[in-house]
Order: sequence, then C-alpha cells, then structure tokens
Amino acid sequence: MSWTIAVGVKQVPDDDEVGIDPDTGRLDRASAPAVMNPPDRDALEAALTIRDQVGGEVIAVTMGPPNAKTVLEQAVAMGCDDAVLVTDRAFAGSDTWPTSLTLARTAEALEADVVVCGEETTDSSTGQVPPGIAAHNGWAQLTYVEGVDARPEEDRLAARRDVEGGHELVAADLPVVVAVAYGEFDTRPAGLHRKIYAENDFEPTQWTAEDLEIKEEVGLDVSPTSVGGMETVDPVDRRGEVVDDIDDLAEVLTEVNA
Amino acid sequence: MSDDNGSGIDVDEYDDVWVFIEEHAGEVMPVSWELLEEGRTLAEKLGDELVALVIGEDVDEIAEEALARGADRVLVADDPVFEPYRADPYGEQFRAMVEAYKPSIALIGGTHTGRDFAGRVAVPAHAGLTADVTEIDVDDDGLLQARRPAFGGDVLATILCEEHRPQMATIRPGVFEAAEPTDEADGEIVEADVVVEEADCISEVLEREVGDTADITEAERIVAVGHGVEGDLEPARELAEALDAELAASRAAVDEGWIDGARQVGQTGKTVRPDLYVAVGISGAIQHLEGMNKSGTVIAINNDPNAPIFEHADYGIVGDLFEVCPDLADRLEGDLQEVVQ
Repeated sequence: MSWTIAVGVKQVPDDDEVGIDPDTGRLDRASAPAVMNPPDRDALEAALTIRDQVGGEVIAVTMGPPNAKTVLEQAVAMGCDDAVLVTDRAFAGSDTWPTSLTLARTAEALEADVVVCGEETTDSSTGQVPPGIAAHNGWAQLTYVEGVDARPEEDRLAARRDVEGGHELVAADLPVVVAVAYGEFDTRPAGLHRKIYAENDFEPTQWTAEDLEIKEEVGLDVSPTSVGGMETVDPVDRRGEVVDDIDDLAEVLTEVNA
Repeated sequence: MSDDNGSGIDVDEYDDVWVFIEEHAGEVMPVSWELLEEGRTLAEKLGDELVALVIGEDVDEIAEEALARGADRVLVADDPVFEPYRADPYGEQFRAMVEAYKPSIALIGGTHTGRDFAGRVAVPAHAGLTADVTEIDVDDDGLLQARRPAFGGDVLATILCEEHRPQMATIRPGVFEAAEPTDEADGEIVEADVVVEEADCISEVLEREVGDTADITEAERIVAVGHGVEGDLEPARELAEALDAELAASRAAVDEGWIDGARQVGQTGKTVRPDLYVAVGISGAIQHLEGMNKSGTVIAINNDPNAPIFEHADYGIVGDLFEVCPDLADRLEGDLQEVVQ
C-alpha cells in the first residue's frame, strides 16, 4: 500500500527582509526576495513523515507565476519525488475561492490521497485555502495539525489537532486535506545530491487552467471578494519615555495599578 | 450552488445578519457574544433581523442565552452528530441552512474552529469570505465592508463581496465588546432541519482533551513575554502576580512552545485591550503591536536599546529582564504592603 501525497507550497516575500520605504516610512514588501512560505516548510516535513509511515510519493504543487518554480526545486531538494507548477495568466486576481478550486482540481488530477498545506501564508494570512480545497472536492479536512499518524489498514489518516484550550485526535477518511500548524514540524535538511539534481536536471510538470478545465472559473472576475480600498494605519501615539531608574518604573506601575 | 458567478444569484433575496455561536460541550466561546453585539449594530443599520446560529447537541440553554443577549431569532440544529465539532457535518448543515434561509451576512469567530468552519462553508455556499477582520460596517447600499489588516498591519484593507451571498467574515476575538444578557428577550427559537447523518460523515473524533481556556482578551492587566525570556517564564510570572495580571505572549514565545497558543497576542493571535500592558523581552514586531495597540499604558522591558518596542511604549527600561522583573515585583509588593499598613 502506498499513498500519493500532494504538498502545497507558495512563494512569498521574505518577511525578515521586508524593508521600510524611506519616503513613506511604510513597509516595502515589493523589494523583499521571494522565499518559500515558512509554514509550508512544516507542511513539507509532514508530507515526508506520512511517506515514511506508509510509502508512496510526495508531489509538491505550487500555483503562481513561472518563476515560482524555484520553490518547487527547493521542495524536490528537500525530498519531494516530483512537482507540478500550475501557472496561467487566467489565474491573476483569484481570491481564495478560485485558488482553492484550482488546487482541488490539481489534487484530483494527481489522484492524491492526502493534500498537505501550511496553516496559512505569511503574505495573505487567510488560512482559507486548505478547507477550501477539501470543500471543493467533498473531502475530509484536518486543520491546525501538530502530528500525523497514517493508518493505511483503515484507509484513514489520524492527526492530533490544536483546538482552543487543548488538543484532539481526529481520524479522517481518504482523501483528506491536512493544514499543518506552524512551528510543529522540524524540516529535515536538503541532501547535497538531491539539491544538485533539483537545480540542474529537474523540471516540474506545468499545467494551465485549460489543462485543469477551469478556465472560466478562475481569476479576478469570478472571485466573490474584491478589495474596496486600502487605508494606512496611523501608529498609536505613545510617550516613548525610557527611564533609567527602576524606582521610576515602579512608581508608574503603582499609579496605573491604583 | 451557483457556478455562474455574478449572474447566478439575486442578492436582494438575501437578508438578515447571522452570527455563528461557537460552542464546545455546552461552553460558548466568548467571541460569539462579541459578534452578537456587533451583529446587532449591523442589523439595526440594515433594518434586518439578527439571527444566532446554534449547532450542537442539547443546546437549548445556549439558544435561550443567545435570545437574552439580543438575537431576534435563534436557528437551532440540535443533534448528536454535531458533538464534538467536525468540519464536514457542520459544513453540510450550514450549506443547507443558507439555501433554506438565505442570510445576507454571516459572522464567525476567528478561532481555530471558526476558521476551520468558515473555510469549509464558504465554498459550497459560493460565498465571499474575508479572514481575520478587525473592523466591520455597512455602506449606504447595505454592502458589508469588512476591514482586515494587511501587509503586516501597516494597512487596513476593505474587502467587499458585491455579487455573492452570504457575505462572510471571520472576526478576530477580543476586538468588540460582548453583548450582555438582558431580561427583555422576546425573540423566537426556530428548530432547523438536520440534514446530516452520522453514516455520511468522513471524519471521527477519537479523543478530545480540553482544559480551561485562557481568555486574555478580558484582562485588565497583562504581562507578555517574548523571545527574550529564553524559556524561563518565572520572572514574568512573578511580576504578573505582583500586578495581579494575566500572562500573555508574542508569537515567538508560543512557537518555541514556552506558553499556550491561547495566550498569544498579535496578528495571528488575539487582540487585547488592558489598562496596563507590560512587554517583557518582546522586540516589538509589527504583527505583535497590532494585537496590543488598544492597550492603555504600555511598558517595555528589554535589554536591547534599539528594540522597536520602545517606540511603541509609554515607558521603557533598558535592562536584563531577569533582574528587572523580580526587582519590580519586590518593589510593588512592598508598595502594596505600605498601603495595607
């Protein structure tokens, strides 16, 4: 018995390298280098763990512009068996509804038993895409997952989930979409030979909206949500007073506390 | 479901403001009552009814409480299949209820369960869903304006959903005041048809262990720890005790596993608004500031004089937190004793 495990990865601006625009004093994300969405590294490790438990293959998937194939190379270097780049101008402006549709169709085309994603992306932070993929396909979903336990004899995947104030263990029928809690899986290092292969010889499969037969169902025009405006947020005015003497601080605390 | 975006539905057929009451084993998440209060404001502006959505098992008391806290109507789906929460039966039930009752707006708490649920139900309903909303209003045309922080909290983006219904949003806990119970409840409780059967469910909860859920959003005083505490919470705990404050944390401290995620303040955690916020060993990343902006007095303790937190604090001290915190705690205990004497 072996499973096909698809893992979603996304290219995002590197949060640690996001600079401040000197003219406006605001964050300048455009100049930051592109990296793999950090929670997706956890997802990759979770996908490889499931493969260790049950056998099969891990296929990395990204939806993005052609240059997003760098994150796929990285995923292959880290141990993925194969990768698919879903790229098409038709996807431009997609909100989470068509984005999850696209990834759902991709997972179906791969005949995936499990789809693993990070809990959210650092550039949009919605966390809506993994449940969206599951809902489009009518599959089970497990979000905020901290540990995975493949149970091939039951055709199920069990997972430990973080819930408010505690944890639960849930078993879901295959196929299942798993969203991994950020910071719960330590990523294994990429092997040197794998790295060389990924960078030099590997080419991901490329699929378009037409290949997935969803050309009319994606993009800005069919997205239920739209951005109505952006306002900059004024920083809260604080005194910014740094005291040298701990007595002064104790005094302030006593006053506030009174 | 409408596949034909924009032309598939008549938005005028949809009205009422729905609030999802999140309950686990009879206990309601506080954010649900916050949404009921905010939902009331929206419903009045729109001239619509405020409807509480209660899904679970043996939830009569919760339905009554929702009425007491201001719902005009409570839609109840009561069945053992809904306890404990699972995404697939809840999602299917919600889809059926949207089809039957056609709500215009649906508000859901931005908890783990709320985000799991919202992401699941927006797809089959072909709804527009906005995540992690911190401000909400309706415009002159009655269109929901859901505002959410973007670009690390630098910008507030307004998200609209013009041609689809319901207009859905997950709302960050702690942003709004909770609706209080009154004696004047005169709404009605409506039993909804349960469309889900256990045999059709594709997931099974094998174990569930939940303790007391910390609620830092209600705290009047907070001592929050960051990466600088290096895993040792004792100094901060001592200070918190001296101040009678709740302990909270930045994402860094939660990710390290030093403290429970329910105590996380910031963009991916909770919004707090205590009278006093003491940041211990917190550098002051913009994602964290966003969750503590509504605090009264902010005090920073950090050994790095260049830490951004000092610009966002009212008072700060540059020093080793392992010395400053116990020292401060001692002085405060001394002050209290003086007052007592």
